[in-house]
Amino acid sequence: MIAQLILATLTGLLLLGIHRKVIARIQRRPGPPVWQEILHMLKFSFKSTWIPATASTVLFRGVVLVAIGIWTAAFFVMLTGGSLLVIFGIYMLHKIVEHGFGLSSGSPYGKFGGVRSVISAASEIPLFVSVAAIAIFTRSFDISDIVAYQQVHGPLMFIAFPAAVAMYIVILSKMPFGPFSIVESKELVSGYKTEHFGIWRAGLEVCNGLKTTVLLATFLMVFVGQLPILWLGAGMLLLVVSLSFACALTPMLSPFDSVTVQTLVTGLMLCYGAVLFIGVRA
Amino acid sequence: MTNLAGVPYYILEFGDELVYFTPYTITLFLLALTFTIFVLISMPERQVDIAFGGDAYTTKVISVSEMRFRRFMAIACGLASMGAMVTGDIFNFTLFTAMVGITNVGIVAAVKSPHVQNAAYQYGLVALSATVPLFGGAAIYAAATGSLSMIELAKGALPAVPFVAKAFLVLGVIGEGMAPFYAAKAEMFRAPGAPYVIMCSLSSLLIFLRVIEVVMLG
Repeated sequence: MIAQLILATLTGLLLLGIHRKVIARIQRRPGPPVWQEILHMLKFSFKSTWIPATASTVLFRGVVLVAIGIWTAAFFVMLTGGSLLVIFGIYMLHKIVEHGFGLSSGSPYGKFGGVRSVISAASEIPLFVSVAAIAIFTRSFDISDIVAYQQVHGPLMFIAFPAAVAMYIVILSKMPFGPFSIVESKELVSGYKTEHFGIWRAGLEVCNGLKTTVLLATFLMVFVGQLPILWLGAGMLLLVVSLSFACALTPMLSPFDSVTVQTLVTGLMLCYGAVLFIGVRA
Repeated sequence: MTNLAGVPYYILEFGDELVYFTPYTITLFLLALTFTIFVLISMPERQVDIAFGGDAYTTKVISVSEMRFRRFMAIACGLASMGAMVTGDIFNFTLFTAMVGITNVGIVAAVKSPHVQNAAYQYGLVALSATVPLFGGAAIYAAATGSLSMIELAKGALPAVPFVAKAFLVLGVIGEGMAPFYAAKAEMFRAPGAPYVIMCSLSSLLIFLRVIEVVMLG
C-alpha cells in the first residue's frame, strides 16, 4: 500500500511537470524539465524549515498533515472502489486546507489566497450535480458499482456527457496556471502557500501529486470505466495535455469573473440535474 | 436513492434517537474532530496588515479575554458540527445546523472591526431567516412520513418524502453559509484568529456535505 501511495504521488507530480512543460511549449518557452515537480518535492524535503513568528504554529503544521491525510484517504477509497461521495467530500474539504494554509501564517498574501479559496466555493457545486447525475443513472455512489454499470451500458461519458464536462471544469479549476487559479495568482506571490517552506512545502507538493492522480484517475474510472493500468496512464496523460491547452490559451480570470463563470456553470448543471430528476420521476 | 452513504459500521441507539457511522459520516466526523482539536491546542496567529503607500506594517494581537470567548464558540461549533455529522435523526440535524449558525456569529462577534462585525450581523440575519425553511423541512418530513429517523427513511418502507421538504432542508443549509449566501461570510474571514475563523468555513462545508446524504434518503 505504501508503494502504491508513493507511485501515485510521483505519477501526480510527473503529470504536473508535464502540465508545466506543455504550457511552456504552447507559449514558445523551453519550460522546466517534466520531472521538475518531483525535484521540487525532494528539494523542499531537505531545505531548512522555518515557521513565521506570526504564525499559529499548530495550525501551520497540522493543516499540512490534514492535506496529506485526506488525499491519502481519497486515494484508497478510489482504489477499493468505495463511495464517490467520500471523494466528493474530500475534494470540497480541500478548500478548508487551502483556507488553513492561507490564514495560519498571518501573512496578508496567504490570507487573501485563503479568502479567495472560500469565495470560489461555487466551483464545487457542479461536482455535486455531476455526482448526483451519475447516481441517477447507476443508482449507487460506489465507484465499483459505477464501473460495473459501464461494463453493461457503455461509458458514462456518452450517457451523461454534461456531467463529464462539469467534472472536467472542476478538475480544470484545481489545475495550476489555469483560468480559475485565483488562489495562487502572482499578485498574491504564491497565494495560500506563500509562507510554507521546507518540509511543510514538500508535504504540500505530496498532497498536490496525490490530488492530481486521484482526480484524473477518478474521472476516467467514473466516465470511461475500468481500464488496464497502461491505458489508465495514457488516459491521464491525454487529460493533462488537454487541460494544459485550456490553461495555456486562457488568461487567468479576475476573482469576480472566475466566480461568475463558475456560478454560470453551476446554474447550467443544476438545470441538467433538474431535467434528469424530473425524467426519473416521470 | 434509498441507501445511506455506505453500510453503517456502528449504530448507537438512545431510545428512538440514534447515531450511526458510515464511511462517509466517519470521514466528515474525523475532520470536524481534527479541527476542533486544533482549536483546543493552538494559539491564534498574529495577522500582518500592510499600510499601503509606505513600507510600514502592523500585526494584530488578540487579547486573552477575546481569545477565550472565541475559542469557546469555536469548540461549540466543532461539537455541533460533529453532532450533525453522525446524527441519524433529521430534527437533531436541523438543531445542530442552527447551532452551527449561531456559533459562527459568536466566533467573530468579539472581533473589534467594523467590517467583520457588519459581516457577522448580515450573516446572522441570513442564518436566522434560514432556520425557517430548515425546521419547516424537518416538520414536513415528520408529517409526510411519520418518522424523522434516517435509518427508517433509508429502508424505503415509508411514504415518499415530498420534494418540497428536501428543498426546504437544502435551502436552510445553504442559508447557513453556502453559495450564494457565503458572500457575507467571506467578509468574516478578515478577522484574525485562524484556528477559530476556519471553523466557520469548515462547519458550513460539513453541514452541506451531510445534507446531500440526508436528501438522498426516502
